[in-house]
Amino acid sequence: MKIINSHKNVSLEYEEDLILKIESLAFKHYPNEFGGFLIGYYSDDLKTLVLTDVLSPNEYKSHRVLFERSAEGIKEKLLELFNLNEKRYYVGEWHSHPDASSMYSLTDLNAMQSIAESETIRIKNPILLIVSINNQKLKNYTFYLYDNNTLFEYGRK
Amino acid sequence: MATDKTQHLQQVLETHRMAHIEKLLDKYKEKRQEVKEALEENYKDKIYNPINSGSYAKHTAINIKFDLDIVVPFKRNSFDTLEEMFNDVFDFLYEKYKDVAEVRKQKVSIGIIFDADDNGDEINIDVVVGRELNQDQYTEDRNLNLFVNSQYGLLDEKTYIQTNIQAQIDHIKGKNNERSIIRLLKIWKTTNNESYKSFFLELITIKAFDKESISGNLWDKLKSVMEYIKENITKDNFTLKDPGNTNNDVADTLEDWEKANLSNKMSNMISNIENNSDNIKTYFPINEEFKEEEDENKGQYGLKDASIVAPSIPNKSQQFG
Repeated sequence: MKIINSHKNVSLEYEEDLILKIESLAFKHYPNEFGGFLIGYYSDDLKTLVLTDVLSPNEYKSHRVLFERSAEGIKEKLLELFNLNEKRYYVGEWHSHPDASSMYSLTDLNAMQSIAESETIRIKNPILLIVSINNQKLKNYTFYLYDNNTLFEYGRK
Repeated sequence: MATDKTQHLQQVLETHRMAHIEKLLDKYKEKRQEVKEALEENYKDKIYNPINSGSYAKHTAINIKFDLDIVVPFKRNSFDTLEEMFNDVFDFLYEKYKDVAEVRKQKVSIGIIFDADDNGDEINIDVVVGRELNQDQYTEDRNLNLFVNSQYGLLDEKTYIQTNIQAQIDHIKGKNNERSIIRLLKIWKTTNNESYKSFFLELITIKAFDKESISGNLWDKLKSVMEYIKENITKDNFTLKDPGNTNNDVADTLEDWEKANLSNKMSNMISNIENNSDNIKTYFPINEEFKEEEDENKGQYGLKDASIVAPSIPNKSQQFG
């Protein structure tokens, strides 16, 4: 799947299997929210981001309308991925919205701003994925690109 | 067409980033290291390790006006008086750099302005000379006494000032929202030739975030801080405690008429921008020098380190809703 962010004129690629994996993680925690770290790599010209996997947090708090993930232990895993022959990077975050839309909240925007401005984050445009689920199925999902305090939605070409 | 205030302010911040002047910054860092090593070599065990401070260490620097600061902590018994210490360091730096730089005494520091190089780049390094407050205690408490060379608000009768530069740096650590607003206010003051101290703008912004509920987009936040300044700066009991020494009230660096003036300026800025969004460009201009560079970055995912994809490591908990 390839989607486009028209604000930045960049694209995002991912396999349907990755969405199935995320869906399954989200269902496991339904009716509470759940989420984690998005992993991927950039094309040499930095025009395309390819999502390859997700990492789940070691520690988290999960509620119906709130998800808090810790960064405990994630450094080691990310450095391991960075040291692979085919380097993989932390590229953003995902979380579920049970029985709610895939629109981001102010809390989500603030979290992404804090992430992008952190000294240990070396990318300027982290990605946010929100998956909307109910007790039966994944209803919808939306990818956002963070740029300068704003989240911009990806869309089909 | 009306200007999107938040989008404009984002571009203002972007075009004033230090990352645009990486090569110049490298020259600064090189010079700073050279000065540090010269001081270490000359004063040997009279000093503790010099530390970096100032806006670059606090991540509030802007690329149109900045210097790099070094703090040199002397041991308690190194000199009999603070003035003697200050003058000795000045004499040493003057002798060492007089042929290649202007070395001058400033309020609490010694400024070295290196002559422009072949590319016309002038390098400014500020050396803050301090002496530990109590013998052998610096590594524990980081408290320093600085010699005051001229008037500093209420301290005009004093010849020294106690401070804790590490506490000042720690005071702003992790405050990303505050940093964006501080940088915008510094851009305003520099481009509009305002004389307010950066440290004053830094403390009042942090206090505004502490006292008020400040949220929303970048313009909302900037406006809230400007409103806080407008409403509070002229109040009799308003103080800005220096985190390096709570006995220092940085609000006192302004006379009453200057405070009233600042309050009026904030009020005018807010109403002029709200009445006509284009006015934001006058108060907070884009750095045209780097505008094109930003435009070129369209069509690419942005990296903070030139073209190198370095690993990003989330280092704190985050809440999503």
